[in-house]
Amino acid sequence: MTARVSRSFFPVHAARRRLVASLGVASVAAALLLAGTGASQAADAPRNGGDVTFLIDSLGNTWIPNNSAISSFQGHIWGHVTDKLVYVDENGKASPWIAERWEQNANATQFTLHLKKGVTFSDGSPLDAAAVVANLDIWHAGRKSEGINPIGLFPKTYERAEAVDATTVKVFFKAPTLGFIPTLGYHGSILISPKTIALPAAQQADLGKTAGSGPYVVESWKEGGYVKLVKRKDYQWGPAAVGHTGPAYLDSITYKLVAEPTLRVSAVRSGQADIAYSPSPQELKSLKNAGFGVSTPRYLGFVNGLAINTKVAPFDDLRVRQALQAGINRQEIVDTVYTPDWKLATSFIQSNVPGAADYSRLLAYDPARAEKLLDDAGWVKGPKGQRVRDGQPLTLVLNSNPYLATSKAIDELLAQQLGKIGWKVVIRAYDVPTYGEKVRIGGAAVPAYEVTRSFIDAGTVAGILTDANNGENWFALGESDKKINELRDRIAGAGTAEARRPLLDELQRYVLEQGYFIPRTQIVQRIYVQSPRLKGERYNGVAYASYYTATKSK
Amino acid sequence: MSRVPSAYLHYAAKRLLQAVVVILLTYVFTFVVVSVLPGDPVTNVLRDPQNGFGEQEIQEIVASQGLDQPIPVQLWNSLTRFAAGDLGMSMRSSRPVSTLIAEVLPSTLVLASTALAVALVLALLIAYGTRFLPERFGQGLLRGAPSLFLSVPNFVIGLVLIHTFGFQLGLFRVIEPESFWATVFAAFALGIPVSAQIAEVLIVNLDNEARQEYATVARGRGLGQARLFFRHLLKPSSLPVVTVIALTVGELLGGSLITETVFGRTGVGSLVQRSVSTQDLPVLQAVVSLAAVVFVLVNLLADLVYPLLDPRVKLLGARRPREARPVNPPEATA
Repeated sequence: MTARVSRSFFPVHAARRRLVASLGVASVAAALLLAGTGASQAADAPRNGGDVTFLIDSLGNTWIPNNSAISSFQGHIWGHVTDKLVYVDENGKASPWIAERWEQNANATQFTLHLKKGVTFSDGSPLDAAAVVANLDIWHAGRKSEGINPIGLFPKTYERAEAVDATTVKVFFKAPTLGFIPTLGYHGSILISPKTIALPAAQQADLGKTAGSGPYVVESWKEGGYVKLVKRKDYQWGPAAVGHTGPAYLDSITYKLVAEPTLRVSAVRSGQADIAYSPSPQELKSLKNAGFGVSTPRYLGFVNGLAINTKVAPFDDLRVRQALQAGINRQEIVDTVYTPDWKLATSFIQSNVPGAADYSRLLAYDPARAEKLLDDAGWVKGPKGQRVRDGQPLTLVLNSNPYLATSKAIDELLAQQLGKIGWKVVIRAYDVPTYGEKVRIGGAAVPAYEVTRSFIDAGTVAGILTDANNGENWFALGESDKKINELRDRIAGAGTAEARRPLLDELQRYVLEQGYFIPRTQIVQRIYVQSPRLKGERYNGVAYASYYTATKSK
Repeated sequence: MSRVPSAYLHYAAKRLLQAVVVILLTYVFTFVVVSVLPGDPVTNVLRDPQNGFGEQEIQEIVASQGLDQPIPVQLWNSLTRFAAGDLGMSMRSSRPVSTLIAEVLPSTLVLASTALAVALVLALLIAYGTRFLPERFGQGLLRGAPSLFLSVPNFVIGLVLIHTFGFQLGLFRVIEPESFWATVFAAFALGIPVSAQIAEVLIVNLDNEARQEYATVARGRGLGQARLFFRHLLKPSSLPVVTVIALTVGELLGGSLITETVFGRTGVGSLVQRSVSTQDLPVLQAVVSLAAVVFVLVNLLADLVYPLLDPRVKLLGARRPREARPVNPPEATA
């Protein structure tokens, strides 16, 4: 509201008696003005020039590329400073970028990447096959003795890569790895100059010393303060999928840390900055009404929901898990906590992931069914409406996820919804360090672990659900559930997406039917508010905004 | 008089030794506190599910940082490095701690010194006002100002200043927090609570001095209010203020943490805030030790300056420094 009030401040004073009317007129005029600039801009060809300021709540911890590229914050900067081999759009579709084309063998254990010619890093060294091999190796292994991590989501089946010639790379895997190509478009898989990779960790941690091949380079930065990027004029190798391959239009992008969310939004409202990241969902409606751009791109990954620990009573009982699945009113979560920008979950993976199925019927709100299931399981309603069995109340402990600001609000709503069917919900809210220490997937004291997690390829799902191949064993099933194990192995071993699709369908239905995973909503983790003067940004598969294609009007 | 300098030297040496002990104890204390806190910083970051590391990989990475060693061994390693002047590497960012501190120190020094200046001017205005402002212009209200200033949290003052002067009046840009006007307003946010303490002491002392015979005589001679205030009352009333200023250094350091965060400045405070949230032990230790050094040095300076300002203290101070202290002995809080 600040923008509108300040705009109409003087007219109101000038015509005090017509205060209400002038307020209305001023705000309508302001809205028309904003809409007008937007429309005329859209009609023009992209124009060069302009500087934008992006206000962000954190700039993360370190800039060692491997350790930081999967952070929710630094990914914004890496997305402009570096390129990837493959572009993955918001629908999970992989398309050429630095890799012009690729081939794979029949069982997806060998891949050949053909690279674009003439690509260089900002330190002058060529982005050739040798550089790609150096990157693949460090993504896979890191340099642990120096504290450089491997990239967690890089396929663990990686064996080796070799440069066949200057623009051809052959990659070998120990087992079928259908997800390899999409993983190359993941936000961790950023191409860094071999000269940077060779530097010791302490120097890699200095962002100014890190060279990528992206459309922008780091001009200056201050830890915990800002990062200023300026455009690279000789850039010619943008991903064709975004419809532009030459140099960026904007001259500079400055990422500035402003920890307070209301300050970020107020700065955009008052025209002091162009983009505010992570505003609170409740503010979005009034911002939209005031003419600001609001983007809530979904990312590829799991929906926000609860992974149930089947070893913890009473969740070892199928009927109890199914009652939980049916006892949650998901529409009410979207209506109460969020805005219509949030979508209902249709499976336990986001609906834009290739291979996601629509099982919304399994996620329908059906309190009568939930009550019947609990009755059958021996949980009897007591005088105060609380269900009890063998003297024990029916209880669910929820540990609100400190990484997701709205998590506790959803938990509180769940407590109300489940309370109606006699379920007692205990909410525990920890800060990030304590949460990290106490709340673990499959931990004995954690009956329901809240998941918010991105991935690029649905094939990785199977590796997470059980403990095979160092999997995370989300439901503490181990090898006990034969069906899920069989599906897991067949999905992992599938050589083609066509062969894999029905298996993935079956896996999703099974996991939801068994009440192993309780979806809450599809997740929007990245929210952007931007000035109407800024147009043409793109959001990739993990919902990072790229201003490579953006323009700013005067 | 020749005994006085040697007594000073003795006194100074003793205080310096105390200072070193305080700094060392601070270092050990910080280490122990952070080490016994639940959770260890490295695995917390690594266990973030987005990273997808296996338990074995996490252990390897922890071992590579020497964090699998027993706490006493880690403390000893850290202490020997510190004694040799090596502040170590930040666990969070993998950059040298000395670089990190060098980056943020100037910003904090500018903010703290501006805030101190703001606080002194405000305190002086308030004190002058309570003495000479006519009752109908709010003299009584002014006497309540210090308690008001102290009771409003400084982040609230900061947010009000930002919204009023930054957004509504557009006097400074929030996204350029190190600019001149942004610094001035941040200094107000930080300086207002500090001014309250100084004003409080100044008012009490002015009241005392005004009751002294010399003041009555001066008034009797027809001396103007301003002259009386500045030429006669202010100097004797300022003595305890020196002590209070020394104590407010702690206030300035602590307050800068919040003020820097609210205003988006990149200073020592924001470095501490980030280091606490990630349990970055080497950085925390360096900063806390640095703060201890500053605090101890400033108080030492106050102790040494005080006898010079007041000849009555000087004589006593030379022989028995302990009794020569002002009402609030600095080491009580050091």
